[in-house]
Amino acid sequence: MSNLNTVEPFGEGFISALCPELILFAGLILLIVVPNLGSGKFRIPGTQTRVPWLLGGKRFKLTSDPRLPSWIAVLTIGSSFVMTILSFQDGVERTAIVSEGGTQLLMINAFSRVFELIFFGALTLAAFACMNRLDVKGVGAKLSTDELYNNRRQGDFYILMITCALGMSIVALAQDLFVLFIGLELASFSTYVLVAFFKESKAGTEAGMKYFIVGSVASGVGLYGLSMLYLWAGSLQLDVLAETFALSGSEALPMIGIGFVLVGFGFKVSAAPFHFAAPDAYSGASSPVAGVLATASKAMGIVGLLRILLIVAAPESSEDGTVWLVCLGLLSVVTMTWGNLAALGSTNPKRMLAYSSVAHAGYMLAAITAIGAWNWDETLSGDPGEAAIVVLTALMFHLMVLVAFKLGAFLVLSVLESEGGGSRLSSLGGLAKREPFLAVAMFIFMISLAGVPPLAGFMSKLLVIMGIVKVALGDMSEALATGSELGLSDVHWVWWLALAMVINSAISVYYYLRIGVVMFFEEPEKGRTGPLPAGWQVRFAILACLLATLFMGVASDKILEICETAAQSFNYNWA
Amino acid sequence: MASSSDVILDSDMVQYAPLIILLPMLAFPVILFLGRVFNKNPFWKNTLKEGGLIALPVMAASLIISLLLINDHIGGFAGIKDSMNLLWVNTAVWDGGALEPVTLGFGIYIDHVTVMLLFVASFLCLLINIFSVGYMNTDPINDNRNHRFYAEFVLFCSGMLGMVLADSFLWLFIFWEIMGLCSYLLIGFYYERPSAAYAAKKAFLTTRIGDVFLVIGLVMMWDIFGSLDYDVIFNAVEDKEFMAGVSSSTLQWALGMMFIGAVGKSAQFPLHVWLPDAMEGPTPVSALIHAATMVNAGLYLVARMFPFFGAEALSGDLVDLAFIIALIGGITAVMAAAIAFVQNDLKKVLAYSTMSQLAYIFTGLGCAMYLANTLDWHNDSESHYIVVVAFGAALFHLFNHAMAKGMLFMASGSVIHEVHHAHHHLHHHDDHVEGEHDDHHDDDFDAQSMENMGGLASKMPLTATAMLVGSASIMGLPLIGGFWSKEGIIANAWRVAQDDPRFLLPAMCVLIGAGMTGFYMSRMWLKTFAGKPNNEVAAHVGPTNTWIKIPLFTLTFVTLSAIIFAGMGFTHWAPDSEYAFMSEKGLVEGIVYEMEHAFANSDSFFFILTYVAIAIGAVLGPGIAMSLYGGNLAEGEKAKPWMKPVIRLNAWVYSRFNFNNSSIAESGLTRALEQRLYIDYYYDMAMLKIVAAFSKKSAEADSAVIDGTIKSIERGSQSLSSIVRSLTTGSARDYILMISVGTLAIFFFLWGVA
Repeated sequence: MSNLNTVEPFGEGFISALCPELILFAGLILLIVVPNLGSGKFRIPGTQTRVPWLLGGKRFKLTSDPRLPSWIAVLTIGSSFVMTILSFQDGVERTAIVSEGGTQLLMINAFSRVFELIFFGALTLAAFACMNRLDVKGVGAKLSTDELYNNRRQGDFYILMITCALGMSIVALAQDLFVLFIGLELASFSTYVLVAFFKESKAGTEAGMKYFIVGSVASGVGLYGLSMLYLWAGSLQLDVLAETFALSGSEALPMIGIGFVLVGFGFKVSAAPFHFAAPDAYSGASSPVAGVLATASKAMGIVGLLRILLIVAAPESSEDGTVWLVCLGLLSVVTMTWGNLAALGSTNPKRMLAYSSVAHAGYMLAAITAIGAWNWDETLSGDPGEAAIVVLTALMFHLMVLVAFKLGAFLVLSVLESEGGGSRLSSLGGLAKREPFLAVAMFIFMISLAGVPPLAGFMSKLLVIMGIVKVALGDMSEALATGSELGLSDVHWVWWLALAMVINSAISVYYYLRIGVVMFFEEPEKGRTGPLPAGWQVRFAILACLLATLFMGVASDKILEICETAAQSFNYNWA
Repeated sequence: MASSSDVILDSDMVQYAPLIILLPMLAFPVILFLGRVFNKNPFWKNTLKEGGLIALPVMAASLIISLLLINDHIGGFAGIKDSMNLLWVNTAVWDGGALEPVTLGFGIYIDHVTVMLLFVASFLCLLINIFSVGYMNTDPINDNRNHRFYAEFVLFCSGMLGMVLADSFLWLFIFWEIMGLCSYLLIGFYYERPSAAYAAKKAFLTTRIGDVFLVIGLVMMWDIFGSLDYDVIFNAVEDKEFMAGVSSSTLQWALGMMFIGAVGKSAQFPLHVWLPDAMEGPTPVSALIHAATMVNAGLYLVARMFPFFGAEALSGDLVDLAFIIALIGGITAVMAAAIAFVQNDLKKVLAYSTMSQLAYIFTGLGCAMYLANTLDWHNDSESHYIVVVAFGAALFHLFNHAMAKGMLFMASGSVIHEVHHAHHHLHHHDDHVEGEHDDHHDDDFDAQSMENMGGLASKMPLTATAMLVGSASIMGLPLIGGFWSKEGIIANAWRVAQDDPRFLLPAMCVLIGAGMTGFYMSRMWLKTFAGKPNNEVAAHVGPTNTWIKIPLFTLTFVTLSAIIFAGMGFTHWAPDSEYAFMSEKGLVEGIVYEMEHAFANSDSFFFILTYVAIAIGAVLGPGIAMSLYGGNLAEGEKAKPWMKPVIRLNAWVYSRFNFNNSSIAESGLTRALEQRLYIDYYYDMAMLKIVAAFSKKSAEADSAVIDGTIKSIERGSQSLSSIVRSLTTGSARDYILMISVGTLAIFFFLWGVA
């Protein structure tokens, strides 16, 4: 618990510690205010004097530009992203934001910074790409009512993007169940609306509605679990909960509480069987939003799970901690298998990607299970902390690179969507001829998802599998070196999770490569032979994803280093 | 050139040696790419000759570097091997307990054998390149696709030169396979023609059979020596302590396996069937693959094995293999020559002649191997001389044959080219439409058949001369080209036969083969160039173009100069300082010595043998041919003065000794020969009955078991997938139900564990 800076709200160091969030907040206010700047005058009550106060009235030419909100949002989230990167430069100081009573509310460390990076990165790219997805007619054009509404809605959309970012980063920072839940709901509500944002299309509204209903139920269950934990420990503080859990974690109440929380976050990461709304939501939402759901939102769920399972119900604190371990292991296997099987036959590329994201959730849960498995068995003494950090590093790396290729794939679909539809496999037909760049990018995203070397997806999957195997083998490396006979029964059962991952990866190759076949070998759909809709922003975002996919595959050292620091800072009892 | 006794250990040129391989290898993608991009571009087509003039400087550069390298090497020739290692991969082999570091590097290895092959390959590649520009680019059927030819051509040359320069059997094999691939591509250059496609496939598959054995041999070698580097292996072979632990019969098997690879590549019995069919490729390809370079690869491989036979530790252990090499050579020499008797296709005669002559070299190598293996040549200077001369004769024959055969193929190409043009001129003159391709093979006219030639000596003087000199060299007419080496091979075969009666068979074969060679080569020349034109087409043939003339002229000169090469010491081309190139005696003295040795041998047995061989090969064989074919030229046609005596002699013999050979021509043997002794037929039968049947069964098993399993897995997963997806009903109520189910399941598990 060394080197902990405590900062009171608005105290010294507050601004530097919460810089990205404060930028977001400022951006949020700007986004609300700026588009409303105009020649509005305020009449001082009781007089005829009108003081120009710039709000309302006839909008200025600049502020009436429908593109303005998008640029503000992109610059806001983008600068938060840059600030987060910059904060890594001189090492992230561990800083806690404490209330006046001394309770920790937020914690800034390398771990939270990495997740902020993931959230902001994904949202920046998505917001940027949305400039082409949400069509606007320029200033001065003769507008129909619908178009006018559409222009006015721009601000709403990007406000939701920013609140989403804000909520997610609060989840990453939260040290208190209450703050955690606030952040979670802020982000969730933003995404519910974002999914339903295209209210003209029936699918969008329906998907948003379903996502909202099912999500509310899951949140409710999760909240119920959190309240049980509070009931049991009498505190909302994560560290207090962890201490209490170490003392009396095997009681029924915390068990039930953790079970409920698992359901709540299980929905967020779309683990089976809580994933059902996800494919509907992904296919109903516009593609960049679906990309955010599949990357940033999922990462948020993972943060929540990590906090509850590895800090509160920390494996090292209790000998009976295995209760959730088996449960989570089963959940992970069911999730990855379910996701891959469902994706196999799916003919809607967006649903296919949704199921693939379910499968990826399974891989992540397997990684968390492995971390949880590290020193519970007598056979796994040795230096297991190291193994757990390896797995956590791999998990974070996986979440990071997922932004590159999963979001990238959704962005490619978004181009097709602007053309009129990306919900059929055949809409990808002949893409290689129509726009080779998109086809090649999509193909690389697909094989990266499948885990083909030397792409980022291979690296991350390999690291996760290696980490799990390392945990499973524990301190048996010595036994291996001396050549004594070891059977599978000597290996911890999490080894089977690694095997399940390998088998599932093999299955997944089928549907990922099918996309490539369609793009390169099949003819375009009727009437879709011409050039695709223009738009440099989305292509720029795709290019960025593509470069990241390639770069993080071959030159992952630096990023892995960051992830490792983050993993070490996650739980100070480990190091 | 002054003889030098100084030993130059370091050759500056060695560091440039990789360029010999790299330049053509880099030219390959360049020509291919530019050819694709600039296809039909007039500059590309007319000025760059569709890549021909890119290949030309590259091959010239390769030749120049080769010559400098050879010069360097010969300057310090003392049996010193120059080698250089360019590190490639460091890896390790798990040796049961510990990891053993292994370096797989590419290096350059230069000794006397390398030097010989390097010159032959780079020199002929350049000449054939020149020839190709004259041949390929003037043929309308090749329009706009010659870049493919030149690209494959340079890659092929790169493969050949790489194989010669490589410093390990591994790299030899790699380049060997590059050549194999290129030969497949080049033979199938006219892939739209079924016969060419078939021939390419046949060549590829037949040599592949040999290659499989070669790989087995290499693996055995690795097993024995732990390395495939020449340096390592040849040093190990000389190391008596090491060799004491090596089973000589295993080694003999390994070498035997490698020899089978050589048999395939050099088209020896029983893997010879691909070579005649491979004449489907364009003529420069025939010259390149079948005369100058690729078929020599097998010989090179066998020549590389010399250190094994020469090793003291293995003395007398490898006799059987030496006999097999000589025997395969002997059989092929006679068989191919016999088939050549009845061929009417100009190029096919040359193809069989190639097989036959390569067989001579194999016999020569086999005998040299036998001598090296049995004689105590390391210590006894007389034995040493015998071994060196035997080995030198074989290598010298390789040189002579490559030069002469390259020339013959190019000359035949020139003939075919002009006959075809004359035919085209006569028959398509009126209705030829610009831009419309006409195929050679669209009618029954066969421009390669000697039946359509005759009396061309006056129309194509340079070609006829080149053909005459080349034929004389192959026949072994005294003083010309192959004579010097062929006599040596025959003499050595008999020398070995005196020692080991088993060798009587190959010895008889090469002696009889000499007479047969005399017959079929004379027949070919006479049918083509002497006598009267067989038809209207042959009467209208004109002289050929300059690009074709240059290599013909050069090679005629080289072939005629064989005596000078012999005098320079080519006949005892050996890894020894004692008999080093030019170091023993001066040029004139050398020539005199060779003459004396050839015509006035002090040993009466060899004295008689020499004259018997000359009588058979240079008098009897050609004499019979003259009595059957040819005759005077047509009225008013004048041959060049140096061809006049030949034609006059031919006319005299023809008028004096002509006899009716129809009974022989209709005999069963002739028919068998026309059918290539039915060997191809039986191979095809065997393929159909055994291999094809097996393949069919495999295919069935494949589709039923492997595909079936995969298909059923796929079907199963798809149906499972639809079941799983059917749970996603689209109704939020159901989703909440599933969440409840999941929650209950979680509690069930938590309960169960706790």
